[in-house]
Amino acid sequence: MSKMIFIGSDQLTAALDHLSERVELWVPAGASGGPGVIRFQRYRPGVEVVLDRLTNLSPKEAVQPQVETLLRFRTVKSADDPAAEQLLLDDGIEARRVLVFGARPCDARAFLLSDEVFLKGPYEDVYYRARRESTLLAALVCREGDDACFCSAVGGGPADTAGSDLRIVPVEGGVVVEALGEEAESLLEGLGEVVSDAGREEALRVVDEISALCMGEIDTSASVQAFKSRFEDRDYWREVAERCLSCGVCTFVCPTCYCFTITDEKRGLEGERLRSWDSCMFYQYTLEASGHNPRPTKLERYRNRVGHKFSYFPEKYDGRFSCTGCGRCVRFCPVSIDIRRAVSGLKENICECP
Amino acid sequence: MKELRQAVEAQWPNLEVMIGWGWGFDLLHGRPLFVRKIEEVAGLVWNPFCVQNLTGYLAKIPAVQAEDKAKKIGVCVRGCDSRSLVALIQEKLVSREQLMVFGLPCQGTVDWRRLAAHSPLVGVKSARIEGERLLVEDSRTIREFTLDQVLARRCLRCTHPNPVVYDVLIGEQVAPRATSLDRYRDVERVEALDVGGRLAFWREALDRCIRCYACRNACPLCICQDRCIAETRDPKWLSQYMGLPEKFLFHFIHALHLAGRCTECGECERVCPMEIPVTLMKEKLGRIVGDLMGYEAGLDPEATPPLLTFNPAETGV
Repeated sequence: MSKMIFIGSDQLTAALDHLSERVELWVPAGASGGPGVIRFQRYRPGVEVVLDRLTNLSPKEAVQPQVETLLRFRTVKSADDPAAEQLLLDDGIEARRVLVFGARPCDARAFLLSDEVFLKGPYEDVYYRARRESTLLAALVCREGDDACFCSAVGGGPADTAGSDLRIVPVEGGVVVEALGEEAESLLEGLGEVVSDAGREEALRVVDEISALCMGEIDTSASVQAFKSRFEDRDYWREVAERCLSCGVCTFVCPTCYCFTITDEKRGLEGERLRSWDSCMFYQYTLEASGHNPRPTKLERYRNRVGHKFSYFPEKYDGRFSCTGCGRCVRFCPVSIDIRRAVSGLKENICECP
Repeated sequence: MKELRQAVEAQWPNLEVMIGWGWGFDLLHGRPLFVRKIEEVAGLVWNPFCVQNLTGYLAKIPAVQAEDKAKKIGVCVRGCDSRSLVALIQEKLVSREQLMVFGLPCQGTVDWRRLAAHSPLVGVKSARIEGERLLVEDSRTIREFTLDQVLARRCLRCTHPNPVVYDVLIGEQVAPRATSLDRYRDVERVEALDVGGRLAFWREALDRCIRCYACRNACPLCICQDRCIAETRDPKWLSQYMGLPEKFLFHFIHALHLAGRCTECGECERVCPMEIPVTLMKEKLGRIVGDLMGYEAGLDPEATPPLLTFNPAETGV
């Protein structure tokens, strides 16, 4: 039987203090000054963990930071031969052992989807691999789903363990933490207390109850094909996305959006090559050097978002959607664009004639 | 709501497209709705969850157009939106003649995040304002909030709830929630801090910024859009670093480009997923423009905003 421990509410801080000595610990906590903003951040003694609210941002930052240095460069000139230049590069990768504590099942599942892209070829991303392999996820069985959530509709669920190394179950007076693998088990050593039989039973009951919840229903059947049939249907995309502001909210709050841009930030003779989050909602995302832009308006751009998540991705990766139903894009869209509606609508009223 | 639909239906022969609000994914979220067929008029709603300023759709590329030039574009405006519209008309970014403006006196809009911060609401069945209270019924219970608890900050400091331009007025005029004396109290609260305190305030606030540019894109007057200095590569003003200097520079330029133009509609702050009080910067600028130039943006379509004038004879500049 997998290792389970109980951490009482009054012991949580001590447990996290203890954990943070062994790993770089990330927890959901209130952003200072912003009453409602909860985001994952580095735990330091004194940080108050918030486990009963959904987070504004996903924990993808732990593995895909918003900006990371890929390499440092420096040009060295020689006094003897002014025309000669020597370019020095440093592409060392830094990765620390990280534990994300208090992610949700939707967030944990997202890591598996990004793994497909970055780790399983044809190209392997060494930067991603270094971070990913040193990151463990402790996902909280989720009781806080709201009307924007739809994890059950895209293959997940509020008690799903896909992508999680540890499972946190809220019980009376604290949490039960269960290790789902060997490495996670070692992390629990010396933490909390032995779970009583009653505690174990309660944890199982909570998991059963939450597992039975159905969070959201959308018709994703045949979305791969339906999307293609809709591709040229401008009226459909106008109805879905005419109100889009072309901002980056949906992509930046999304746990599965992984697109990035690479820039050389140079100052004098030295600089850094950065990788930073990009958004397919931005005009510049597909702007070509010639000035041509294959996705010139928000309609093509929003269409791409739907297509990537519900057509191209499942087509390439065994039918899995690049969406875990976390609901953030629905919740935070300034103009209330609902990707569930955009996907469900793909099949409606499509002309069957050739 | 019924009155609005009837008014739009009555004007329909003159309209090609109507920009109003419809329901979003639940009863706590309105959304912009573009009506192009008369049967879609039934989808129009008007309630305290109609939060978006729709005037940006008239000016920002790709702007909503009427193909048939003999027909008009209908648009719903609250008091705040009507001031944005005035600013757009002043700058010749929209043509007044092409518009049919439906003015809606506004009691204030609800900030769903303030609601959610009180308690998660699941399966909302109804939400309505009665007097000075908001009643929300969800799958579990009925909750009651005072308007002070749930209205958006911009609405609590609103001095112009009634549209300043319109063709058709829907409903009765309402009394403003704030006066010209207390509308800058949030600015004053920050001003009351010492330099270190102000620095800490903005450092904390801007540190949250994720550079999604929702504030810029939602602003009806931020019309550079795809040519914004935040993203140009040549010249390159901002690096991709996520440090405070980049974030500060972006927000400060955003604010300065709006000096004397911004009507403090609060869209930038409403859309921020990280709840940064970005409108505060513009409020401060608005106050400076008022004090120095005696000008309040977005009230008179015939006026020229002070920073859009150039007078070579001006001294002391």
